Amino acid sequence: MLKYSIRRLLGMIPMLILISIVVFSLAKLMPGDSLSGEIDPLNTDPQYIAEMREKLGYNDPLPVQYVNWISGFVQGEFGKSTRFQIPVFDLIMEKIPNTLLLGITALIITYIMAFLMGMYSGRRPYTLGDNAIAGFNYVMLAIPSFVAAVFAIYIFAFQLNWFPFAGSVDILAEQGSFEYYLSRMHHVLLPAIVLGAMSTASYTQFLRNDIIENSRKDFVRTARAKGTPMKKIYNVHILRNSIIPLVTFLGFDFAALIGGAIITETIFTYPGIGQLFLESVTSRDYPTLMALTMLLSFLTLFGNLLADILYGVVDPRIRLD
Amino acid sequence: MKKKSLLWLFTLVLILSAFLAACGGDDGSSESGSEGGSSSDGEPQEGGTLVYGLDAPPEGLFSSAFYGIATDFEVIELFDEALISYNENLEPEPNVASWETEDSKVFNFTFEEGVKWHNGEELTVNDWVFALETIADPDYDGPRYANVQTIEGAEAYRSGDADSISGIEVVSDYEINITFDEARVNNLTNLWAYPLPESVLGDVPVAEMSASEWVRSTPIGIGPFKIDKIVPGESVEFSKFDEYWNGDVNLDKIVLRVIDNSSVVGALQNNDIDMISLQPVSGPEVEPLENVEIVTYPGLTYYYVGFKLGKFDNESQTITEELPKYQSKELRQAMMYALNRQEWVDAFFFGYADVVNKPVPSSHWNSADDSELIQYEYDPEKSKQMLEDAGYVDTNDDGFREDPNGDEFIVKFSHYATGNPTFESRAQQIAQYFEEVGLRSEVEMVEVNLYYDMVEKDDASIETFFGGWGTGTDPDPSGLWKADQLWNYPRYNNPEADQLLDDALDIEIVGTDQEKRKELYVEWQKIVNEDLPMLYIAELEEIKALNTRVGGVEYDVSGQNSPAEWFVTE
Repeated sequence: MLKYSIRRLLGMIPMLILISIVVFSLAKLMPGDSLSGEIDPLNTDPQYIAEMREKLGYNDPLPVQYVNWISGFVQGEFGKSTRFQIPVFDLIMEKIPNTLLLGITALIITYIMAFLMGMYSGRRPYTLGDNAIAGFNYVMLAIPSFVAAVFAIYIFAFQLNWFPFAGSVDILAEQGSFEYYLSRMHHVLLPAIVLGAMSTASYTQFLRNDIIENSRKDFVRTARAKGTPMKKIYNVHILRNSIIPLVTFLGFDFAALIGGAIITETIFTYPGIGQLFLESVTSRDYPTLMALTMLLSFLTLFGNLLADILYGVVDPRIRLD
Repeated sequence: MKKKSLLWLFTLVLILSAFLAACGGDDGSSESGSEGGSSSDGEPQEGGTLVYGLDAPPEGLFSSAFYGIATDFEVIELFDEALISYNENLEPEPNVASWETEDSKVFNFTFEEGVKWHNGEELTVNDWVFALETIADPDYDGPRYANVQTIEGAEAYRSGDADSISGIEVVSDYEINITFDEARVNNLTNLWAYPLPESVLGDVPVAEMSASEWVRSTPIGIGPFKIDKIVPGESVEFSKFDEYWNGDVNLDKIVLRVIDNSSVVGALQNNDIDMISLQPVSGPEVEPLENVEIVTYPGLTYYYVGFKLGKFDNESQTITEELPKYQSKELRQAMMYALNRQEWVDAFFFGYADVVNKPVPSSHWNSADDSELIQYEYDPEKSKQMLEDAGYVDTNDDGFREDPNGDEFIVKFSHYATGNPTFESRAQQIAQYFEEVGLRSEVEMVEVNLYYDMVEKDDASIETFFGGWGTGTDPDPSGLWKADQLWNYPRYNNPEADQLLDDALDIEIVGTDQEKRKELYVEWQKIVNEDLPMLYIAELEEIKALNTRVGGVEYDVSGQNSPAEWFVTE
């Protein structure tokens, strides 16, 4: 297993190099740069823009720019954000706690809802309840998250006043106090529900199908013949087997934890990685944009590896070497 | 053109309004709200917290010398003040500093005594010198050097040939002489007038200043409120500064919150925010709210449809080539008469804009009176007649006019595209006006970043284009209009007009006489009003929404009054 992991990790290197070339080319192919489009005669002049272009190296040939960027990147030097004027690393570290909190809360909500719905559906397939759950899931999957977010704010924040409509914390709460953490949870809940409740479809349906399939297996018939209660058969014997395929998703969720909430964060003005990513695209903040894309690519690759390894762990029949 | 980065999010607002259209009111009544002036009446009250909304996240460069976008400046205005302020005619007025000059070249400034920074240190002229030297430093990475450049010796300091700026002479802690490289009428308005706290930034290398915590998380100023806490990208907490130099401060606290455009109306309705700048599209939704008052004041932004009349060479700073297609003045005037600008403004700016006939905001002191300019009222018949007279007639009976040589004539109109769906329809509407007088028109939407690149480089595919400019407190339009300027996008080349602009800045000709300057600017406006290198469309109004519990807030064209005077009633 160790050998396999190392082999896979080494295999990522050429992949990441290729990704970096694609990311860099796409970023540079976008029309304009961080200095164009925002001409404001009040506080800038053409000479300043020309000077900054030279200073930022935008006038160098593209291969030179690429080598400059990637060599810094390999040494952990992500560059300085052209928009915020601080190192990209600091910027990412500043936003990541918010995003992780949102991502993990959303994931927990997804898991809980998907498990409850999946188990119910799997046990009573083709009933009204099952169909209702499937219908709910697919509607949620089909609604774009920004529409759901806008509606959620309108209904739960403005009409019912249950949740705050924006931000990650109430600034008047003293940092570190109990009230502060409560305020953070209160702020994260609505975006997390929007994110979490909208993505239950794949988990629920996978779990449902697996339960149905497993319930027709021989070991279930044996258990029933022995007189084991149905409840126990479903909740222990079948569930344990049905969780296995779900483990594969865990790897993918790994990347989604960081990059899964781009639009939602923006609408909730929740300052996290997603909002940062979107802003860096619109303002052509190349260092931030490329660092984030590389980070997300790496996490996706790493998540895949994690999924493969976990698969071997939970199902000994699958051998990795 | 500021804030364009989030413009596409208007999509979301529009989607929301489409879904919730049933709840909306009528769009026609947009005449409520007061013009300028204050909102809530009554006596100022002590204490309380005001919630100030921002509809775009600040970048976090909370220093006058380093900020890049208007959003950051909105935050800075709450805790810092300039040494010089501007009145409602955009004329400079003493604030912390008062000045004297005899020749418009050497200025003597005197500072108020006892002005305190938020860290308790006293403000002296050295803090201003520090700011000027920081901006002139070769490592300085902000965009303000143009405001220091004109001081004598600034160039030498920047290139490293001198250890200090020779034009700055400190007389005492409260008195300073500044000498400019030459006498100009606008030396004062161009000069950088914000100090930087030397006591905290003095030891920080200039190259690291913009990233330092003094700029990003613990900035200080001399304003009525000091920053207590910043949650990056979402909120800032301000509290009353007890040692503020200029009178009493009413509020205890200001909390600034960043909210998404799609939430602005709801947040206002629920009393979650007390004041915020509105986009025109939100106006009709906010007007019916009983707890919110809309205040408008004249803005400094105007929109236009430009013609590419030539090509510019940035190396030699000259217009090198003349493009023939739109050279006919009669054609341009006819196209102006074809535009129903009032209807267009009402449809796309919801009444929060005024039709203009000149490129100088009406509230500037040098703005020409309407009676002196051609008004270009919507008159399609006149437009058609002018086109006939100029030789633009339909010779092949396809329903559209050909040019005087009998060739097909197509008005190619370019507009920038963001995610905002109204941009395409407003561009189409302009094309429609042209078609109604028989000029075949085509609209091309170009992604916004690429668009300005193409306009700036005189790309051949840009023929007529939509644009906008914001002008500053300095009323001089030279930077956007003279033939040797990159930002003269139409490539308008009229030596007579340029001469007028030069004369208006020439101290030999106008001296310190503002009336004389105004005459020259009016003369210039008459020329560009007749020549129409661009079709002036409208100037925008700034729109603020204020909760009725807020009082003491006043706006004029120079912006808001000091936050010290604001108050809330419970």
